[in-house]
Amino acid sequence: MADKATQSQSGARLTRRALIAGAGGAALAAPVLAQELGRMIDLGLPGGPSLRPLQPAFPGKRDMIVQRIRPPLLEAPMGVFREGVITPNDRMFVRWNWDMPTAITAAEHRVAVGGAVKAPVSLTLDDIASAGEHVEVVAINQCAGNGRGLSEPRVTGTQWGNGAMGCAKWTGVRLKDVLAKAGVKEGATRVRFAGLDVPLTDGAPQFIKSIPLDIAMRDDVLVAWAMNGEALPLLHGYPLRIVVPGWFSTYWVKMLSTIEVLTGEDDSYYVAKSYRMPARPITPEDKDFDTVSITTMPPRAFITSHADGEGVALGKPLTLEGIAMGGDAALARVDLVGEGWEVPCELGPDEGPYAFRRWRVTLPAVTQDLAKIGVRAANATGAVQPDALNWNPSGYARNVIERITLVAQ
Amino acid sequence: MRAAATILAPVIALALAGCESQPQVTFTDVSVTLPDDPIDLPEGPGRQAVLENCTACHSPSTLLQQPRVSREKWESIAAKMIEVYKAPVDEAAIPAIAGYMVAVQAAGADAD
Repeated sequence: MADKATQSQSGARLTRRALIAGAGGAALAAPVLAQELGRMIDLGLPGGPSLRPLQPAFPGKRDMIVQRIRPPLLEAPMGVFREGVITPNDRMFVRWNWDMPTAITAAEHRVAVGGAVKAPVSLTLDDIASAGEHVEVVAINQCAGNGRGLSEPRVTGTQWGNGAMGCAKWTGVRLKDVLAKAGVKEGATRVRFAGLDVPLTDGAPQFIKSIPLDIAMRDDVLVAWAMNGEALPLLHGYPLRIVVPGWFSTYWVKMLSTIEVLTGEDDSYYVAKSYRMPARPITPEDKDFDTVSITTMPPRAFITSHADGEGVALGKPLTLEGIAMGGDAALARVDLVGEGWEVPCELGPDEGPYAFRRWRVTLPAVTQDLAKIGVRAANATGAVQPDALNWNPSGYARNVIERITLVAQ
Repeated sequence: MRAAATILAPVIALALAGCESQPQVTFTDVSVTLPDDPIDLPEGPGRQAVLENCTACHSPSTLLQQPRVSREKWESIAAKMIEVYKAPVDEAAIPAIAGYMVAVQAAGADAD
């Protein structure tokens, strides 16, 4: 395993022989994983397997659900969202498509800005930090596949519960100020990002992503170096990552090393072929359908004060609490919904349109089981969470109303 | 593997000093040690094919966490790894890989 890590850090690609040797060596060396894992958490994935370990530990992380060890996929247990709207750095989910370097030498890091620009530049970290005004944005970072494991029928891919999301205060400079260092040419259409994570195998697509130029030029789209007032942890993309508030985190490229201005469409794999969902609603039986890139986030809301199946006191008032998000627009309202009834919820402090916002509602008295209750968020553009899952084969952009049952006792 | 992974450079100083214009940002060298990824696949026909073709890129834990899908789906997933991700998977091993995954998932379902 050490050999493999060294190889991927040095940028060397694995040959088939090395792959086999690596696997074989590890097989001989490794004892039984499951017995070492200890504490498990049940994600409630329909049909299972549903148990996930909270180990092994990762640097700078605490009690994360380990969905994959290499490259890391770490999910936040829902308990993380019980208080406040900011997700601590040690509880923010982690998602890498490919292996990343495990060491960064700050003085050597460069960000190349090229493509359809007047003068390509290679920027140091200090160049980036002095490229413009320092800006802070509170924004939710959410994986496009958050909640995929809850899809019914089930779909393959990372089997996330709903913890592949978090909200942080990001600090950096505006992307447009960094682009100005090179000067965007006439005819530019998109801006593409690459980081230091590279595929293990020759010919596999690099994880590069692009956004339309008008989004890149937004005042709140950042090249960020800080997360909640601290340097970006390496697992979150040290030294720099892109922040696109309101958009799924697939565009928030980590360990930023290249910014490329495009003049046409982006035909790269992770834009043209992957991270796409049906253009119109489909059924699981449909095979041929047009697709569109997943881009902006829809509204979502979660009950965080109570878990499914929990008991509540009969005859007593009941206060429910949780978090909600508007997605790509400010949250407008949250309603507690049951079977045939709904009650508006009170919203907590507003930390900005792209942040979580807390909600709270008190029912005067519990008279019976609260069956299949959920919270339904609506945003300022009128988007409302649907009653039924917008099923798609990759489990993207889940925002069905999440329902639980509380038992009166 | 062994216990908690360590942060080799725990001091990631981000000096937010200065009061006149822009705060000073200091970037330091950072290094982390990530935990190892042990290979732990149940015994069964096709296990060797999975070790030789899949586990270099996919944690066994991740393989075993996938929802139960058909043999055809596993075959198409393996084919996608060759076509899209240029994984050096031996095409002749695909039936054995798919067979192993179907059997392991069936055994897991029986145990639930």
